[in-house]
Amino acid sequence: MSDSRFPLPVLGDEKSSASVEPEVVSAPQSEATTVPDHGYHKSYWRSLEQKLNPEKYKSLNAREFPPNYFDVPKGVDRREFIGLLGASMALAGLTACSEKPVEPILAYTKNPEHMVVGDPLHYATAWSLRGVGTGLLVTAREGRPVKVEGNPEHPVNKGSTGAYDQALTISLYDPKRGQHVRRTASATKPGDIVTASWRTLREQLVTQGAEWAKDGGEGLRFLMEPSSSPSGGDLREKVLKRFPKAKFYAHAQLNHDNAIQGAELAFGTALHPSYALEDADVVVALDADLLEPLPENLGATRGWGERRSELSKLNRVYAIESRLSITGASADQRLRLKPSEIEGFARALLAELGGSVAGLNGLSAQPGRTLSDTEQKWVKAIARDLAGKPSRSLVAVGETQPPVVHAIAYAINSALGNVGTTLQLHPVLTHEKYSSVGTWYPELKEDVDAGKVKALVITAWNPVYASPFDLDVAGLIKKVPLSIYLGSHDDETAKVATWYLPAQHTLETWGDTRAVDGTASIIQPLIRPLFDGQSEHDLLSAFLDAPEQTAYDRLRAFWSGKVGLGFDAKWETWLSTGLIDGQTVPAQRPALNARGLSQALATAPAQGSGVELAFVPDYRVFDGRFANVTWLQEMPDPITKLTWDNAAMMSPGMAKKLGVDRESVIAISVNGQTLEAPVLPVPGYADDFIALPVGYGRELFPSGLPLGGVLGNPVNGGTGFNAYALQTSAALGFVSGAQVKAAGKTYDLALTQDHWTMEGREVSFSQTLAEFKKEPAVEESRGPLPTLLAPVVYEGYQWAMGVDTNRCTGCSACVVACVAENNIPVVGKHQIHRFNREMHWMRIDRYFAGDENEPEVINQPMMCQHCEAAPCEYVCPVNATTTSDEGLNEMVYNRCIGTRYCSNNCPYKVRRFNYLHWNGEKPALEQMAMNPDVTVRARGVMEKCTYCVQRIERTRIKARTEGRPIKEGEIVTACQQACPTHAISFGTLSDQNSETLAWHKDERRYDVLHELNTRPRTAYLMRVTNPNPELA
Amino acid sequence: MADPHAATAAMDPLEPVPLIIGQYTDATLTQSLFGHVWAKPTKGWLIMFALSLMGTGILGISVVITLGWGIGTWGNTIPMGWAWGIVNFVWWVGIGHAGTLISAILFLFQQKWRTAINRFAEAMTIFAVMCAGLFPALHTGRPWFDYFLFPYPSDTLLWPQFKSPLTWDVFAVSTYFTVSLLFWYLGLIPDFAALRDASTNKARRLVYGMLSLGWRGSGRHWNDYKSAYLLLAGLATPLVLSVHTIVSFDFAVSLLPGWHTTIFPPYFVAGAVFSGFAMVVTWLVPARQFCGLKHVITLRHLENMNKIIMLTGMLVAYGYMMEHFIAWYSGNVPEWDQFYDRATGNFRAIYWTMMFCNVVLPQVYWFKKARTSIPIMFVVSILVNVGMWSERFVIFVISLHHSFLPSMFKDYVPTLVDVGLLVGTIGMFSMLMLLFLKFFPAIAVSEVKELNHELAHAHVRPEANPRQSGA
Repeated sequence: MSDSRFPLPVLGDEKSSASVEPEVVSAPQSEATTVPDHGYHKSYWRSLEQKLNPEKYKSLNAREFPPNYFDVPKGVDRREFIGLLGASMALAGLTACSEKPVEPILAYTKNPEHMVVGDPLHYATAWSLRGVGTGLLVTAREGRPVKVEGNPEHPVNKGSTGAYDQALTISLYDPKRGQHVRRTASATKPGDIVTASWRTLREQLVTQGAEWAKDGGEGLRFLMEPSSSPSGGDLREKVLKRFPKAKFYAHAQLNHDNAIQGAELAFGTALHPSYALEDADVVVALDADLLEPLPENLGATRGWGERRSELSKLNRVYAIESRLSITGASADQRLRLKPSEIEGFARALLAELGGSVAGLNGLSAQPGRTLSDTEQKWVKAIARDLAGKPSRSLVAVGETQPPVVHAIAYAINSALGNVGTTLQLHPVLTHEKYSSVGTWYPELKEDVDAGKVKALVITAWNPVYASPFDLDVAGLIKKVPLSIYLGSHDDETAKVATWYLPAQHTLETWGDTRAVDGTASIIQPLIRPLFDGQSEHDLLSAFLDAPEQTAYDRLRAFWSGKVGLGFDAKWETWLSTGLIDGQTVPAQRPALNARGLSQALATAPAQGSGVELAFVPDYRVFDGRFANVTWLQEMPDPITKLTWDNAAMMSPGMAKKLGVDRESVIAISVNGQTLEAPVLPVPGYADDFIALPVGYGRELFPSGLPLGGVLGNPVNGGTGFNAYALQTSAALGFVSGAQVKAAGKTYDLALTQDHWTMEGREVSFSQTLAEFKKEPAVEESRGPLPTLLAPVVYEGYQWAMGVDTNRCTGCSACVVACVAENNIPVVGKHQIHRFNREMHWMRIDRYFAGDENEPEVINQPMMCQHCEAAPCEYVCPVNATTTSDEGLNEMVYNRCIGTRYCSNNCPYKVRRFNYLHWNGEKPALEQMAMNPDVTVRARGVMEKCTYCVQRIERTRIKARTEGRPIKEGEIVTACQQACPTHAISFGTLSDQNSETLAWHKDERRYDVLHELNTRPRTAYLMRVTNPNPELA
Repeated sequence: MADPHAATAAMDPLEPVPLIIGQYTDATLTQSLFGHVWAKPTKGWLIMFALSLMGTGILGISVVITLGWGIGTWGNTIPMGWAWGIVNFVWWVGIGHAGTLISAILFLFQQKWRTAINRFAEAMTIFAVMCAGLFPALHTGRPWFDYFLFPYPSDTLLWPQFKSPLTWDVFAVSTYFTVSLLFWYLGLIPDFAALRDASTNKARRLVYGMLSLGWRGSGRHWNDYKSAYLLLAGLATPLVLSVHTIVSFDFAVSLLPGWHTTIFPPYFVAGAVFSGFAMVVTWLVPARQFCGLKHVITLRHLENMNKIIMLTGMLVAYGYMMEHFIAWYSGNVPEWDQFYDRATGNFRAIYWTMMFCNVVLPQVYWFKKARTSIPIMFVVSILVNVGMWSERFVIFVISLHHSFLPSMFKDYVPTLVDVGLLVGTIGMFSMLMLLFLKFFPAIAVSEVKELNHELAHAHVRPEANPRQSGA
């Protein structure tokens, strides 16, 4: 048996081959000559053991069976068996704990160029609101646009954005967007709807186009969204060339018509104003919301911010307005007048200035009413102030004021030499000069009634809803045999049109747009159209007698035709910078047309009587087009802190007079219509005046969320009340003679801040410049306090923030930016109203001080203060929140069990708790808006501002790979990036040159609740106003 | 004391007032005290039990909802991170104070009158702490990770944060519960043995036999039992004070106006004893009636309890007074605002309920008539616990509702689930108490027998007690 043919492997208790000593390995060479025991010529060996240790191998093989072969296998004993039994039972139970969902992962077989999975890509693009463009820089993650920032290269917005821009991503992923093309089966039976395709429509348009062309397109009408797109203009020209008798109109319910008409009155030409507030020492805002973060205002807002930080540069802003706008809240002095009284005030101001300013003396302006003593005092003081600052002052007028008030302001500005410095006048860049409903409806109605109109193409946003009640836009559309509506949602207009085409979102489209100064940008898509959507240009091009082109080809063809040689290189640059060079239009300096203006002034101003009602844009839904944008609906209104609804806002005095309170429903009757709306008294409103924000009351869009309704608590958003139902085409801005009475009902309003005052506490500081110079209020609210503990020495980066409450307008763009960046869930009206469970990591606390009619407003952005001695940390029983060695107060979501003790002990109450599984029922489409750099928090976990730690870490990685320290200004938090006034700075205190350190050392610096000695890393700069002592 | 039974009753050597009315032998005591265990459940008991079972059902439903959907089903908000849940927790823990105080501290002070009520009070403690324990476990956002609160060796190398009063709470409450349970069970052993011996059928003999852990009543057994009982009493005594002290730290250690107060530990302990004694009275009054225990739980017992209620009530009132005084005296704006808001704000009704029930009401016990009137003490004892619940609501919810930043002054309204949990725990507590009264020796029979002997002995030879002659 010595040479067993079936040698068995060496068993376990023998020395294994792995433990062979190195010197033994060298042995084979010396033994190579020994005669093999099997007799073959070559020394084949079966195993290393045989080779290295033949003697032992032999002895092993001497046995037929390996050692222990006949032993009864030593299995588990009783104890072990029972142990295993128990363990396997327990483990079997564990498998039930988490069922992992099946997730197919599709890898890129070919990696797209520039794309590194996990790294964000930024694309420059743009979008336009009412034809005014904003440059954007959009972050895409693996092909999904997730975050919108302003394009820093853009000359107007310079990187800042408003709340609407910030919410673009969620409006892209809105599950209620129109998704399918459809048409009514026949024009006679509008209810009978069939799905259709864009292809069918296009074919139909091409066929019918030939027919229409025969009579020059006499029956073609286009009702367009205001647009400044150069390629769109070209398309229109081409369409008009083919159909010379076709007509283009534009419709926007909130529009610039009054300002443009005012320019026509004052200068004889249509001009569009924009403001350079950085150069304005004295600003008079007549019912003008200059700081509302609309595309046309972003530049002015930034300029205003620049004048509010250094006390030596402090400008002076007078706001004369009826409601409390964010401009009024930020103004140094405020006078409340009813909207109809503004004109008289403006006329009086003109007359007052006529005495001192050359160029105005020829104009005689009668106020048409007796000004009150206060008004007269104001007129005199403002006139003196304005006259003292020629070419460095500004009078601005709000969109809802009649053209003559605009004309008066233009005249004053022109005479003071402000035109070209603080007031920039640009040619009207939208293709249609005017867009208010009165400019197109009568003409179109006449044609429709005469049966002339064969086809009506509507790309304007929802004219059926967003139009005054006295004009039957829906009836008009129904009378047209072929009406095609291109819109974002299957809305009121879509319901009456014969064809509905879902519109592409701006992030899905190729196009171009121009900012107010003419700066043109390419709109490039970030994502392939999610649904069956088309763009306005696609629709217009179907009317051309030309082969179909892709939007991309069309756009390139247009611009290459304009540029000619070297287009390709330029195109690349345009795409990467987001700007098309050489498109800016120089600001105009027209001469004042005194005669025209005198004529306009000769007509006595209309007098308001009784209760006046103003239709104002809403800070959240604008004219209603953002009604289904949850981030905006949940953004608290900057002034009222109202979410999800609109309300009839009035002065507290008026509410008292009516015997109503917050949430009481009143019936407002005007123009023969009655609307019931809840009351929301707001300080600083003119008496006998109600402001009703437009854009709500969409019955088709109960802008709610299907969030976990528990125990009969349906979580639905409010739908608000439709202010358009009271509006007539004659008075789009405001109307007088409204009858108001209590309706004896109540309606819940979800406010995120109930308290108006600071209750006499030193929470936020405000002083006038003179007071501040005498004795700053903040001196005791900063600096180290005595403590028994040894100070912690921080080394390396020390992240810190500065918040300038003097720059902050409260516009809340930062709040939406934070929502977008940090995957903050939307909780809905019920949760806010009933439980105050809004999840915003940053809120803007708004305090009123002083008289309720002449309130001083302080905005205090409030987010985690990142205290060095954080009260939240020591109370957490599981160490789920700790301070990093760079001073960040960090939340460890995995560790958090949700005792909420940290929130209780947080004096700033900035922590937010996932009371329910907010993210659990998010539609797949909305999930695409999630930022993959930020954990999506589960139910039961505390969360709060992180100072955008994901941005810090991403920058750190970049700096580390480049072998350098992080540079000043390299990390920009989401709120900071969005802020149009640069009221937030972020950086490290370890860098002596950092802006944040400078803010921390500023004379206006204070810590909120300094007496608690939490040593916050967020420093605040107090508000210092610059009122006119004459008016004090 | 001109008690007509004085001559025949077993007398306390210090207080010549009967602690056991009538004369009994061991056998007749066993008979009378265990009688209700053998008797068929009465109709009244069955109705009560059904009601409490319903309450427990409500608890079950509320717990399932809480676990299934999350804390969002409660009325908690930001800033009210803690609300009803924690109010209920502290209320129940407070109620759980009387038992151990009676058993341990009064035992160490050799208060004879405790013997008839200690078992009962201890059971109440156990059940109350069980109810209390539910709340911290449920009120976390992710209760399935509650084990993070315990220091266990984990691969994350993470420990609980020992700086946090919540971590102290975990130890304080779990220690208190364990010791109370052991103490209670230890006391029960001889009585279980007595029940076993008196059992009329095999099943009962088996169950009580197992529960009595082989007790034979030998001298050795009694010796070990006595020393163990004394040791546990010594161990439990500091716990009576520590538990509520540590619970009060949850608030005192924070910096919230209305919470950040050094007076909290003694004031909480006094409040806890106050509510605990009230709860004992609430249950003793019907129990002695319906379980036929009037001869061992006499008016004298109840009067003593009421005296303690009055004393602790005044301690609590002193606490209120100092809180308000310091809030004013410190000149701290948020602190004073807080106290002003309590008395005048949205929740003022609850504040004034607290003031009435805890400060005004116990003053009736200055009158002996009130102290010994069954209806009065029954009503007062219930109202005291209403007052103590209100006190916790005032301290926890109102402080959170009105803290530092006026922008975060928010209101609070509970949900049905909140109410369900309170009603449900009351149901579960009642259910356990009813089961205990029915199936367990509700009176420490062996101790009563011992007392009976002692008293008889003392009565026979009064000169044995030197103090007796001076009395």
